[in-house]
Formats: sequence, structure tokens, C-alpha cells
Amino acid sequence: MNALTLKNLTVPGRLRDVSLSLGPGRLIGLVGPNGSGKSTLLQAVAGLLPSTGEVLWNGRPLAEIPILDRGRQLAWVPQEVHFEFGFSVRAVVAQGRYAHGDDDVGVEYALARMDLTSLADRPVNRLSGGERHRVLLARALATDAPIQAWDEPLAALDARHALQTIALAHERREAGGTVVLSLHDLRLAHRLDEVVVLHDGTLVAHGAPQAVLTPELLLTVFGVAVRSGPGLILELP
Amino acid sequence: MPVTLAGFVALVILSLGVGDLWLGPVRIWDGLWRNDELASVVIYKLRLPRMLVACLVGASLSSAGLVMQAYFRNSLASPGLLGVSSGGAAGAVVAIGAGWAMHSLLVVPAMAVVGAFVATGAVLVLARSGASTERLLLAGVALNALLGAVTSYVLSNFTLSYERNAQIIFWLMGGLEDRTWEHVLIASPAVIGAALLWPLGRPMDLLSLGAAEAQSLGVNVRGLRRRMLILATVLTALATAVAGTVGFVGLVVPHLLRLLVGPDHRRLVPLSLVGGAAFVLACDLIGHTAGNLRLGIVTSLIGGPFFLWLLRKKP
Repeated sequence: MNALTLKNLTVPGRLRDVSLSLGPGRLIGLVGPNGSGKSTLLQAVAGLLPSTGEVLWNGRPLAEIPILDRGRQLAWVPQEVHFEFGFSVRAVVAQGRYAHGDDDVGVEYALARMDLTSLADRPVNRLSGGERHRVLLARALATDAPIQAWDEPLAALDARHALQTIALAHERREAGGTVVLSLHDLRLAHRLDEVVVLHDGTLVAHGAPQAVLTPELLLTVFGVAVRSGPGLILELP
Repeated sequence: MPVTLAGFVALVILSLGVGDLWLGPVRIWDGLWRNDELASVVIYKLRLPRMLVACLVGASLSSAGLVMQAYFRNSLASPGLLGVSSGGAAGAVVAIGAGWAMHSLLVVPAMAVVGAFVATGAVLVLARSGASTERLLLAGVALNALLGAVTSYVLSNFTLSYERNAQIIFWLMGGLEDRTWEHVLIASPAVIGAALLWPLGRPMDLLSLGAAEAQSLGVNVRGLRRRMLILATVLTALATAVAGTVGFVGLVVPHLLRLLVGPDHRRLVPLSLVGGAAFVLACDLIGHTAGNLRLGIVTSLIGGPFFLWLLRKKP
């Protein structure tokens, strides 16, 4: 059964008739120019935006899933964060256990995975942008939800934390989870299982990165030409 | 919490003891058990109802402020600044000015609730949740001015009765003078409101960091917000109906508590109830030992500078 199924998903003015099936145990990248509907798609999939069409999680229509259960099945990481109140990093990560009755299971592990253990008692409104994003990723990890929807998780991160995040996504996939993340780095997109390309709110292509991200598509959708040559390839030591 | 409770109990004893006739703890005790006739009359006729109204008003306004801050995700939101208190006052003033208040004791609080809900509705239209401080404060400024105009209109058009005007002035400058058991009764539903607020602490934690985030983590945001808004509005209206507009309680108390114990709403909800009651008791004590300053004046004298300090501190 598919982890995520979208049928004619439409958000007025932002997303038009997107139909997709995403399997379990897959790592999927969502790419497209600014304003192409990546964030909108992730939010609609997470049930956070009014939309028409159908969204199914593990074959079950989203509308039939009680909100508390949703918190256990899908973790969404927003693209922008603003923390008004000075909760500690640990307290924010522990919010990921809300739908599990605040049992705090896996909170320390999530903190450690995102290199936050030393910052655990720091108020979140005194962190840098990248640190705040790591807090949100740790919170998503703490939910232990099988479906993870991350909106540009890499944009604010330094090179090492970006690679760690990709490694983490691979781990979730190995464990049978589904990870959908939007990203701008088309080279990093090649490290994922599947790529979904959005343009002006419509689905343009979906498939393996090598098959989808062709020079023709990159030129028409992104307006960039491809040239291979000596470049910098970064990986975790 | 133990410190707050101890302070609260001390203030309760003080507020029963301090006045034209000073009563020590022993006489208060005797008075409460009616073993001391004079003390008994002073306590039961004057000080106990006033003390209880002060507690109810303080707990209501402070918890309403806490709820509004979580709702709007802005630590400067509060019943006074957003105009909800003014809405309640305008409702009460209209009821008095039009002479409806004579028919039943419940008319003024009912109209205060109506007025407060109208104001809350307007704030919601003007400033959605997560609104910037500027937007929120400007909405409050506009609303306070508009509701002030309503009140002035009533004042200028019903100048016939000196007594009514005196009553209206009372609502404009909140105070606790001559509060009776009737007022305790009117404000008492606040206890139910406070009880309903109790379980909302945890979901309010999540909501205070973002509505979409909270929903994605399993919080029924729509239901939670509706409950928060109704509770905050009713609590503000009840407080306003018995004490007039008492500013800054909902701003100062949650802020001080956050500085002391952090932003966890599971602790802040009970603390804001006790702390709010203690704050208003203290302000009332200061007011009538410093030569009959009205409660609303004292809270504004403390809250005004505090608010300016917060505004300066905020990025």
C-alpha cells in the first residue's frame, strides 16, 4: 500500500490537480523554482491547508483520521520558524511526544541526533536560524512518525548538518518510513530515491532523479543550463 | 508555587486587616467566627466581599491575558491593550446609560459580556493570530478609541442623572469601592472559567509556538482556539462587570511569572490565577493605604511603565 496518495489535490491559486503515489520506504525530493507550490503541497499533504481533491495516508482518507492520530503518523517541519516564547530546546523537542501522551520517549536520542544535547537547556528564541531548524527536525524525529514531510530542511543548515540530515532521512527510509523533503540543491536531489518536480503549481515530472532531472527539464523549468566539470563534492567523513 | 501561595495568603490576611479599623490576625479570626461583633461586621459587610471580588478580578484578568498571549503568539497581547476590557466597559455603560441596569442585577454583566465579545470579534478581524506587535497594538488603539467614543456618547447624552454618571465614571476608572456580595456572585462564574482553563495548559504550549505546527503535532487547533477565545473574553467581561476597566493586570502578571518559572503553560495557568489575585489584592492595598487611589489607577501606574519597558526590550 502507498504511504501517501494524492488525487487531484488542489489549493486555489497555489496548486492545481496534483495526483501522486508515494511508496513506503522511499526518500522523495520535492523540487521546483520559488513559488512553484512545494510548501503548499507539503502543507496540504499534512492536512494543514484547506484543499480539494483527496489525500490518503496509508490508504486512509485524511479527513477520517482524528487529529491526535495524525500527530503520530506524519511529522511536518515548517520552512520558517519564529519562537515568541523562550521554551528550552528540550521542551520544544519533547512537544513531538504530545500525541503519545507526553511520554518523552526518544527525546534525548532526537536531541543527540541533531547535535543539540549541549544546547538542550537553551531558550529557543536565543538560537541562530540554523539551530532553530535543527530543533524542528529533532522534534519531527521525536514523533517517530512513519511519514516525514520536511519543508526545505537544508536551506538554513551548514554543510555538515545538511549532510547529516540527508543521512538521517536515509535512515528513516531504511526503517521503512517515507521521507518527503523539498530542496533547492539539485545536486543533493540526486542522492534521493525519487524526485517530484513542480512548476507553477502543477506536477511536471516524477521519477528517479537521473531520469527526471534532464538538461531539457532543467532549462524549461528552472531556466538553467547544465555543464559537468570539476566541482566540489562534499560527504560525511 | 509555594512562594506565590504564601504571598497570596499574606495578602488575604492583610486585606482583611487593613483599613480605617485595623484588625490583627486574632481579631480577623474571631471576626470570621463571629466571636468579635465589630470585627465580624467589618469583615462580612465590607472587607471579605471586596477581597473576594479583588481575587476573582485579578485571577480572571491575569489568566485572560495569559490565554490571549498564547493565542496571538505575542507576549504584548492582553485584555486591556486589545480593547476587550473597553468592550466590556462600553457594554456595561450602555446598559447603565439606557437605564436597563435597573431591571435586573444581571443586565450589566450580560451587556459586559456582549460588549467584550464584540471587541474580541473586531480584534480577530483586524489582527489574525501570529500578527505582528504593530498590527496587534494598532488594532487595540483603534478599538479602544472607538469604544471610548461609544462611552463618551452615552455620557454626553445621559447627563440627566448624577447617579448614573457616577456609576459610569466608576466603570471607566476601575475600582473595588463598595463591592458587595452581589458583586462576588456576579464574578463567581470566573471560578468555572478557571477550572475549564486548567486542562488547556499543555496544548497552549504547542499553540504558542505556531498554529500549524501545533496541529501537525496532534492538537485540535480550531477547537482549542475557540475555547481559549471564549474563556478569555468571558473572564475579562466578568472582571470588567464588577470592577470596571482595570488595566495591565493581564500583561504584567503573566510576564512576571514567565520570568520566574519559564513559559510552560501547565505551570503558568494555575500560577496566573493565584498570581493575578495576589497582584490585584496588593494594588488595592497600596491604593487604599496611599489615600484612596482607585484600583485602576494603581494598576496603570505600575503597568504603564512596565509595558513601555517591555516594548523597549522587544526586538
